[in-house]
Amino acid sequence: MENSSKEDYRIQSFDIETQKLLKTALKGQLLQFHKPSAVDLEKVSNVIVDQSLKDQVFSKESGRICYTIVQAEAKQSNGNVFRRNLLNRMQKEFKAREETRSRSIQEWVCYVTFMCNIFDYLKVNNMPMMALVHPVFDCLLRLAQPDALQNEEEVDCLVLQLHRIGDQLEKMNEQRMDELFFMLRDGFLLQQNLSSMARLLLLEILEFRAGGWRLSETAHKYYYSEVAD
Amino acid sequence: MLSYQQLTHLHPVSSRSKGSLRWSCSRKRGLDGSLRRCDGQEKADQSQRCAENRSSSFTTPEGDGPMSRCADWASEVEQEEMRMGVRQDVQRYRRRILTADFNERERKTSSGSSECRDSPIPADMETDEAVLMRRQKQINYGKNTLAYDRYIKEVPKHLRQPGVHPRTPNKFKKYSRRSWDQQIRLWKVKLHAWDPPVQEGNDLQAIDEMDLDDVMEIELEACDSAESEENTQCSKNTKDTASIPADSCTGTPSKVMKTEANFDLS
Repeated sequence: MENSSKEDYRIQSFDIETQKLLKTALKGQLLQFHKPSAVDLEKVSNVIVDQSLKDQVFSKESGRICYTIVQAEAKQSNGNVFRRNLLNRMQKEFKAREETRSRSIQEWVCYVTFMCNIFDYLKVNNMPMMALVHPVFDCLLRLAQPDALQNEEEVDCLVLQLHRIGDQLEKMNEQRMDELFFMLRDGFLLQQNLSSMARLLLLEILEFRAGGWRLSETAHKYYYSEVAD
Repeated sequence: MLSYQQLTHLHPVSSRSKGSLRWSCSRKRGLDGSLRRCDGQEKADQSQRCAENRSSSFTTPEGDGPMSRCADWASEVEQEEMRMGVRQDVQRYRRRILTADFNERERKTSSGSSECRDSPIPADMETDEAVLMRRQKQINYGKNTLAYDRYIKEVPKHLRQPGVHPRTPNKFKKYSRRSWDQQIRLWKVKLHAWDPPVQEGNDLQAIDEMDLDDVMEIELEACDSAESEENTQCSKNTKDTASIPADSCTGTPSKVMKTEANFDLS
């Protein structure tokens, strides 16, 4: 399977003990034979969060892993220890996000990516978790502020998240999406120290939303045809 | 493009007296990126304050104000999940009642009588979401036990005898708070008959499963002989419920969720 090699790479970036733990959890063996010990699941969730904060590639995929574990735990033992711990960690990191950002843009960006990935995958009865809507918006709005727009890394993160979950977020709270886009327009128009790449990204996302969260064919040609060349 | 002077002429005096164009007043930021000093300023401050406070107090757009406000996301999500489950249950129960009611009337019409409505009508149903959520939570405590698991495996629904086998109280029926709490207590005590045998390995798990409620119940039952009459009356009430099975409501995640994801990590 195409994806498995990517996943393998990521697992190998952990130490051996953690690798083993993760592998067993993910293969469901831990959960199959007996009621999973609450401690194991907590450890797994911590490992996943820690790695997601360090590795941006991993943070884009960890949502899927978490979803699998949550489902497996619910099925095996009606529990939600994993989800509970995961959300607690995420909330803790959320409260400390400004510090994280001043310490390391990379870590901050990883956190936002991770959070949005969780929002995308961890659905409750096929609905996104309401509890995360405002926090996600808070993060995106932070990325739309002038000091953040100066960093291509942050702009890139922002537009990526909007591509992935923008439509869902808008359905949950249109008002805040409007608020975000007011800021993006302002940034695009008024901010003088934006790189041309940043401006391009912002323009594209403005068109993307205006097109109902999809890009028209001509717009797509404009923004992406150069990639093929 | 209109000059400043031309623009000011177009706008009413009130906005000019504010010291800026109406157009620029609605601009949140000036050229340098800083927030403008006008009406917009206060709003901007407020929304910033709100953004900071937001994570601690969150209410759903549906305005479920009276629901307990959770300070942490995990509890919020769990409550949300339960709320959705309860709402689904309400729909399902209503349909079931109406179907049963309809069938009942069909049968009676064909046999001549026109007016009997013996089966409970939806109007008598408990629909207060706060009440339903509380009751569901209590039911969940009882169902998330090894005893319950063993019970449902051992005794399939069609083999259950009223009085002998515990029956989940029907959260949709109208009961007083005391009556309901008593029914729950009795139900959980009855479930203990299916507790796993106390062994080395099982000990810890059995302790895990018991929550405070259980412990308190057992103590109450033991020293409460005066209430024994009331108890038998209460259990009679649970027997006289409608033909609709009381435990048709599913609150446990395992029944709601399905493991779809196919994650291979070889």
